[in-house]
Amino acid sequence: MKNEAEKPNFITSSLDFIVNWGRTNSLWPFPYGTACCAIEFMSTEVGRYDLSRIGSEYVRFTPRQSDVLLVSGTITYKQAPILQRMYEQMAEPKWVIAMGACASSGGFYDCYCTVPGIDHIIPVDVYIGGCPSRPEAFFDAMFDLQKKIKDESYMKMRTQRVKEQWELIKAKTAEAKAAAKEAAQSKITEVKDFVVEKEQKLIKTAQFWKD
Amino acid sequence: MENVENIVSLLEEKFGAQRDASAKWDACVVVAKENLHAVVEFLKNDCAVKFDMLLDAAGIDYLTYPNHEGPRFAVSYAFKSMETAGARIRLKVLVSEADLKVPSVADLYASANWLEREVYDQFGILFEGHPDLRRILNHVEFVGHPLRKDYPAHKRQWLSTSDYLVPELEKVLESKGYKVIERSEEVDPVDEEFLEGSIKA
Amino acid sequence: MIVLDPNGEKLNLMALNVGPTHPATHHCVRLLAALDGETIVAGVHEIGFMHRGFEKMVERGTWQQALPYTDRLNYCSAMMNNIAFVRTVEKMFDIEIPERAKVLRVIVNELSRINDHFICVAAAFQDLGGTTPFMYAFNPREEIMLIWEKLTGARLTNSYARIGGMYRDTYNGFEEDVLAACTSVEKALKDLHACLDRNRIFLDRTVGIGKISKERAISYGWTGPVLRATGVASDLRKDEPYYDYETYDFEVVVGTQGDANDRLQVRLAEIEESVKIVRQALKRLAPGPIDIVDPRIRVPNHKLAYQDMEGLIGRFKSVYEGIRVPEGEFYCGTECANGELGFTIVSDGSGHPYRIKARSPSFAHVSAFAELVEGLTMADSMAILPGLNMIAGELDR
Repeated sequence: MKNEAEKPNFITSSLDFIVNWGRTNSLWPFPYGTACCAIEFMSTEVGRYDLSRIGSEYVRFTPRQSDVLLVSGTITYKQAPILQRMYEQMAEPKWVIAMGACASSGGFYDCYCTVPGIDHIIPVDVYIGGCPSRPEAFFDAMFDLQKKIKDESYMKMRTQRVKEQWELIKAKTAEAKAAAKEAAQSKITEVKDFVVEKEQKLIKTAQFWKD
Repeated sequence: MENVENIVSLLEEKFGAQRDASAKWDACVVVAKENLHAVVEFLKNDCAVKFDMLLDAAGIDYLTYPNHEGPRFAVSYAFKSMETAGARIRLKVLVSEADLKVPSVADLYASANWLEREVYDQFGILFEGHPDLRRILNHVEFVGHPLRKDYPAHKRQWLSTSDYLVPELEKVLESKGYKVIERSEEVDPVDEEFLEGSIKA
Repeated sequence: MIVLDPNGEKLNLMALNVGPTHPATHHCVRLLAALDGETIVAGVHEIGFMHRGFEKMVERGTWQQALPYTDRLNYCSAMMNNIAFVRTVEKMFDIEIPERAKVLRVIVNELSRINDHFICVAAAFQDLGGTTPFMYAFNPREEIMLIWEKLTGARLTNSYARIGGMYRDTYNGFEEDVLAACTSVEKALKDLHACLDRNRIFLDRTVGIGKISKERAISYGWTGPVLRATGVASDLRKDEPYYDYETYDFEVVVGTQGDANDRLQVRLAEIEESVKIVRQALKRLAPGPIDIVDPRIRVPNHKLAYQDMEGLIGRFKSVYEGIRVPEGEFYCGTECANGELGFTIVSDGSGHPYRIKARSPSFAHVSAFAELVEGLTMADSMAILPGLNMIAGELDR
């Protein structure tokens, strides 16, 4: 029994399983719906299709409380900075679904004002085709996303993040140290100069009194 | 419609307007730029059929139009009468590239405000006397006027940050009799590193 | 910001930005409001977040290729936009479409109108915090969507109309499906009225809010249900009848006050009228051709193309070169769900449109928004916006 508990993998995979299970079954979407696809998303949400079957009925209109950024509709250059800001404001873990042809590739609006696919500004996890995509296609995408989340490892991601942070801290401390060293060096030279000056002064006064 | 025909001939008499040859299916008159405001005012207030709704202002660029002679641009105004059902008339103003100015009718119709802003945005035609002539559909950093025929459809222009609307708000406040003493500290969302690494098409 | 008001008193105003990422602004309107406490003193609003170049795109294709783009103007009632565009071009050709196509267009038009109005009312409720009516409104909508799927193959953006006819004829059992949909629409209307008519919270938030006078509404170029809510009985279906609308028995619904509640109530009442029209039109739906026979305008069907030289040439020419619309300029407006959707068309006689300018009703409606919200509270402004039914695709094109 003791040996079993000592194995580190046992706990890691279990935690992953539990965390991922929780995440897959309560994906709260943030519908960034600008155009036609948003209407189809509304259809998906209600009655016949019923998005709450996979635990995503809780549509949040704020980036702070949502897990999935659901970009449904054309993104124009005027909208692009706003979308990027929304993505940055979302808390980790976060995923992005590009719903419909416009969000995935610009669709048939190949024009001076449309972004040719949102992957030019933010990372995308799942793309859905269609103009607009059917609710069934949307469900398929959600299942794909769930599969993807199940493959993720919470601990791995966490260690990765800790590592990155550690690297960052190390780099920063090294930088700070170097700066401090430099400052100290300059101070030492200053002190040295000061001492030398004083000595010379002393010598001068001694010379003066001698004379 | 007979009424509209009468008005067209009246406009021809009074303002020296010309019937537009290219309008074969509805009544359209070409008006000189200087007379535009007077004609619109006449149509709105003194006409036998009062055209009290300005439906549309459409800019047209004749650059690649086959066998076109005359000024490059035109603005076509569509009017509709609410009293006489079905009475419609269109006015057309020709605008040459050298003189891109057209008198604004924003003081007569509230809808003209945005319609003229759109024509300015898409074609670069300036409306004299417009209260707030700035871009409406394209973003602030956009250079050029996209619906001109010489603007390539694929020429994309990235935007670095959202529009800054506070000066416009101050303008509106001042037009209402308010006086701005102290501006609020604005959080300026300028982010210079925006879109770094993105594929700029 | 600190300001002096017209009486010379010092006021501390707050500039608050709402949208475009706000549940009620639907990612397409941005409002910067100067707030005194919670009252909006002045506001500036901005659009253009969904400007996707409809007018530039249609210039690049043929006349038929412009059709899918018109679908995405008002995507809640896509087929009405098709029909409005097609009607304008047909008028330029001076052609009369067959009787069956006319009746079919009327049915499709009115069902689309029902769809659009349901979405508008549902979204208005949702924005005010009511989820139940949202669900009620979507049930009959889904039923109509099923009809669209069978009829056109698509759910939302159908592209069903063609210049000189329709894409294809109806399927077997179309009439029964439409009648069944009508019944469920009426049932949903009953449910919606039960939620809406005596709902204290809803009435308090919408009655008397966002009033506009007739003159001002006309000056802003408002059309359709929002203008009718102010008491102006203006409906192109009655004023300039097309597709024999004058022979159908229906009322023009008119509001009294022109406030946010009227704008929604007019829409609900219009759904009833639309159901009436659909029922009458179904009785007139007699068998017959749906396309005009003119290979220069309407693409000949496959049967003709495979067996007849003329048909083959016609098909080849109209697909590769596009149909040739007579040279000239024209403006024509059609009564769509939101109001008058007009197209200013400039044709140079070639197979490609020279310039198409869409006159969208939403553009006119939303332009009045800053004026409507002045003097109201922030919460009221969100009760007004959905009633104007701004559809981003149509607003910014």
